[in-house]
Amino acid sequence: MTATFDLWHKHMTKFFRNGEATFGMLLQPVLWVVLFGVGMQAMLEAGGGGLLPQSSSGGGVSGAGYIGFMLPGIITLSALAGAVAGGATLLDERLRGIVKEYLVAPIPRYSILLANALSTVTKGLFQALVIVLIGLAFGAHLAPDPASWGLALLFAALYTLGIAGLALAVAAVVSSTLGYHGLIALDLPLLFASDAFYPLDVLPSWMGWIARLNPTTYVIDTLRRLMYGVSYVGQMPGWLSALVLVGFAALGMALATLAFRAEIRARGGAV
Amino acid sequence: MSDTAITARGLTKRYNGDILAVDGLDLDVPCGTIYALLGPNGAGKTTTVSMLTTLLRPTAGTATVAGYDVVSASAQVRARIGVTFQETVLDKDLRGQEVLDYHGRLYGMPRAERARRIAELLALVELDEAAPRLVKGYSGGMKRRLELARGLMTDPEVLFLDEPTQGLDPQNRAKVWEYLGTLRTRRGLTILLTTHDMEEADTLADRVAIVDHGKLIVEGTPRELVTGMGADVIRIQGAGESEALVEALGKMPFVQTIHRGDGLIQVGVDQGNRRLPEIVTCANQSGFRIEFIAVARPTLADVFLRHTGRALRDV
Repeated sequence: MTATFDLWHKHMTKFFRNGEATFGMLLQPVLWVVLFGVGMQAMLEAGGGGLLPQSSSGGGVSGAGYIGFMLPGIITLSALAGAVAGGATLLDERLRGIVKEYLVAPIPRYSILLANALSTVTKGLFQALVIVLIGLAFGAHLAPDPASWGLALLFAALYTLGIAGLALAVAAVVSSTLGYHGLIALDLPLLFASDAFYPLDVLPSWMGWIARLNPTTYVIDTLRRLMYGVSYVGQMPGWLSALVLVGFAALGMALATLAFRAEIRARGGAV
Repeated sequence: MSDTAITARGLTKRYNGDILAVDGLDLDVPCGTIYALLGPNGAGKTTTVSMLTTLLRPTAGTATVAGYDVVSASAQVRARIGVTFQETVLDKDLRGQEVLDYHGRLYGMPRAERARRIAELLALVELDEAAPRLVKGYSGGMKRRLELARGLMTDPEVLFLDEPTQGLDPQNRAKVWEYLGTLRTRRGLTILLTTHDMEEADTLADRVAIVDHGKLIVEGTPRELVTGMGADVIRIQGAGESEALVEALGKMPFVQTIHRGDGLIQVGVDQGNRRLPEIVTCANQSGFRIEFIAVARPTLADVFLRHTGRALRDV
């Protein structure tokens, strides 16, 4: 396990040393809220407010309107972008031969992947903090309960671990940067086929079903519930969300490990 | 504790069914030696090292490194070896000393020991001043030297160097040879290096194994290998009746060996400077036009030609 920590430490050191990456990480959520959220909110309010998501107690999101509703979606979007970047890092290390240094060292193979995924999760949590601060600045009212916060972060971390694993699985088997970005572009639909930006009950039923199969829906639901202390019409039960997210994290990392080892074996290497 | 650092028996690697990179290689590398695998590009040297360092699965055969089997005890092998690869494999966004530090951490080295070793190795490869700078700014020679330090960082029992001076300018090449020379006195360290440069093998190695097409051709100390080649070797290239020339040379009493291959005729004689004029005369009389002729002590390249009929091309 110490190998996981050491490699995680290396990834984090390199990241924060890179001013452009850090700046981008902080700027991205700001842009999403301001450029997308403000506009959407204005549009929905202009339509008479009837389209704003309804909480099960009858009110909209605690006064912050659409921006409050979509903040968890922004957090998730950042997590997705982070996962893509994490996979790109692994691919870069594979192509430049740095992975050989890892493979020749007496460390477990999964450490290589887990360290990468955990650095993605760490950066995702930083971004989530930034996003929440921005949300506060735009008037969202958040639940004051620290236990809810801890849980919210935990579930966000689990989801991020899952998608990081999926991205790493792709990065482990492709042989070029072009191939990686070609495949990984499929990640954005994950976000849009969920209730990140629109409540489930306004979706046509076929899409509603897709959304229910999408782990993204569960993390969004959980974040809304824990961040705002409100339940929404059509929201998933908490225990189900927890189950789905734990399973998703395990599945993502398992896929990454399997893909990594399979690729090594396929080219005659030793795992 | 055996006195062999590396053994291989029938080591074979076959790719995609028909590309045979390594063909039944046997090796015995004694502890504490600097051992060179000498051969042209494509001889299977890197593939051999990849198998010995547990990166590649052998198709057949066995190998042990530092007393452990490379397939069944790969983790134990990894803990005891250092490796530098043919291409530079460095994280350019890290500082020089960080590269060494993270490497040491992966091998479970405690902090104090890491600090001590980093200082010692940076001094050895003369990178003390550059150590706090990012690797991004290092020259090719500096990167190679840092990689050598990294290979030694964990105090390995066996250090594998794949073409350690390839692409280096003469000054950096000499430096690396100098560092390796000082390591010679380090007890408990065995070095296996691969090279296509016979001068490198001759200068550095206690023992040399000449490999070609994935097979071991001949093995021994550099001195043993050139024994029987004559005291001096005269190398001739040219056009014309080479058969007649070789026949005529064979009749001359001072000629000890004659080998041919790749457009080169190699004649082992007792005293090159004295015999040169006679050989030139002989060529003229045999209808052979000499385009190039040289006299020198026999080298490993001559040994290679003798055994394989091909020239060991210096890239």
